[in-house]
Amino acid sequence: MPKNISIEVSLKKYSPESVRYAAHSLGGEAFAYIKPLPGGRAAVELAPRPGRASAGLARRFRAELEDEKLRERVAGENRELREFMLLKALNYRPKPPEKDDSGLTPQQEKELNDLIAQIETEIKAEASGGASSDPLGITSTWEDKYAPKNGSKKKR
Amino acid sequence: MLLSNDAGFTAALTGADFARYAAGRLKTGALHKELAAKGFVREMTDFEGCAAACAKKNAFLNAGPGLHILVMTLRCNHKCLYCQSSAVGAAGGGKTDMSRAVARRSVDFALKSTNPSITIEFQGGEPLLNWDALRDAVLYARRRGRELGREVRLALVSNFSLMTEEKARFLVENEVSVCTSLDGPAGLHNRNRVFTGGNSHSETARWLKYFSERAAKQVPDYKTFNPSALLTVSRFSLGREKEIVDEYVRRGLQDIFVRPLAPIGFAKKLWPSIGYTAAEFARFYRNTLAYILKLNAAGKKLRERHAVIMLEKIVNGADPGYLDMRCPCGAAIGQLAYNYNGDLYTCDEGRMVGWEGDDLFKVGNVLKDSYRKVMLAPAARACAAASNLELQPQCSRCAYKPFCGVCPVYNYETQGSLWGDMPSNGRCALSMGMFDALFALLAKPASAKILKGWVAR
Repeated sequence: MPKNISIEVSLKKYSPESVRYAAHSLGGEAFAYIKPLPGGRAAVELAPRPGRASAGLARRFRAELEDEKLRERVAGENRELREFMLLKALNYRPKPPEKDDSGLTPQQEKELNDLIAQIETEIKAEASGGASSDPLGITSTWEDKYAPKNGSKKKR
Repeated sequence: MLLSNDAGFTAALTGADFARYAAGRLKTGALHKELAAKGFVREMTDFEGCAAACAKKNAFLNAGPGLHILVMTLRCNHKCLYCQSSAVGAAGGGKTDMSRAVARRSVDFALKSTNPSITIEFQGGEPLLNWDALRDAVLYARRRGRELGREVRLALVSNFSLMTEEKARFLVENEVSVCTSLDGPAGLHNRNRVFTGGNSHSETARWLKYFSERAAKQVPDYKTFNPSALLTVSRFSLGREKEIVDEYVRRGLQDIFVRPLAPIGFAKKLWPSIGYTAAEFARFYRNTLAYILKLNAAGKKLRERHAVIMLEKIVNGADPGYLDMRCPCGAAIGQLAYNYNGDLYTCDEGRMVGWEGDDLFKVGNVLKDSYRKVMLAPAARACAAASNLELQPQCSRCAYKPFCGVCPVYNYETQGSLWGDMPSNGRCALSMGMFDALFALLAKPASAKILKGWVAR
């Protein structure tokens, strides 16, 4: 059975939160027990989980501790700015697209739209109301247009 | 070393460059310029730009649930080894079939969502076992969508074993996209997906061909969709990456969704024989992706869906709408699962937990509860809190945080709490493996070009 690893940490160099987070990050490999010691120190005991080795745990813990120290510094320095940015993001509204300016007043726009609608209605009525689709007779043959209606042909 | 930030920008640095950057000694040069443009240099940060990027990534927050999963029946004629849907036998007697009335109420409930685009996904069991109600629900959803002027997408998830020409035509003509499972060549597929009534793989292949051919001939009256397929990786899949991908290419599919197994449902009981470690899956995923990229380089069109989802976030800074990997997750606020009896759950996995006797993830019932009550249900709120990565000790520190998401149901089933414990969480390890693979490939120009091409606008 792998042995538990004991590591002493200076709480003057690393905050208790950093120690906790560093220990937590190894939770997949080992159970962590943190005990305060006199003189501003803490004892961290890492007990490897069943089937896990203890080799490298201490080195990894110390590396995580350094990383946590950096994270803590950066997070502390940027907390307000980050919160400002996130608040901005949550309230972000993209600028609306600029409207086309036709130069007409709303009343003029309405009159124009009404006129267009009227013309469209008239066109529709002409097309479907039984009116000839060929008012100028363009598709009619000469016979259709000028032949005598009684059917007799004029002799040449 | 990978840097990332809330706006979703990333930068890869060598160890030496990172040490200079962290010590505040990187103040000039191309790298400094790149980091400044991406919001990594405080004094030069474009807050407006970063806020806009962050807002775009999280645009789903105000949208309401977009995915509505209607479980048409719990009956199924397959006995897949890894089933998470709590399927019962096909004989069932119809006791676990959704009635037409409940289906219609479910459609009405889905249309209450504020999401501008609704997807109703018919699942099971095997939904084709309840064809009459399914057919009615499709027609009803189409009619209500038209009446309300809403965009409604319909999708069917089926094993295809009960498909007929008549049903297929109905689905195509009513613009229902179809999705099935394809676990690889016949021997592997049938080993995972046990079908005593025939050959599961043959039926899958037959109808994939049918729907693909229909999609190739678009008609003006309705839109036809290419069928899609999902791969569930079991222990039997490991080492057979090439055969599986070749099967997808053979079937003319353009996407392969490599999904890891989760120790939930049937899979939990059979885990010792069908499960694997996160490291084993990571190796499978890397090998699969490498082979897919090789095929792409040779001119074959095939994308891996998980990668596409992650790349949408990494490359395009957009939300791909994948509810399983979102912060907060899609539980209730992004999706709802409608059980056959009208009970509503945070998601399909939550519904499965309910079937096992634990209603922790139940958020209401379509026949009794208002939309507002469901959205404010304790389970909905608890899942939103538990899946907020800012509140997770490990996730809040992770470089993959802008692109990742946790699953409270997975956490609950495997670790006993909605929050879980990420350092020992299997799903976290799986996700990290996929992200590691993807970012390693993005660091290489040739593979990056192909990957970015998968999500090019």
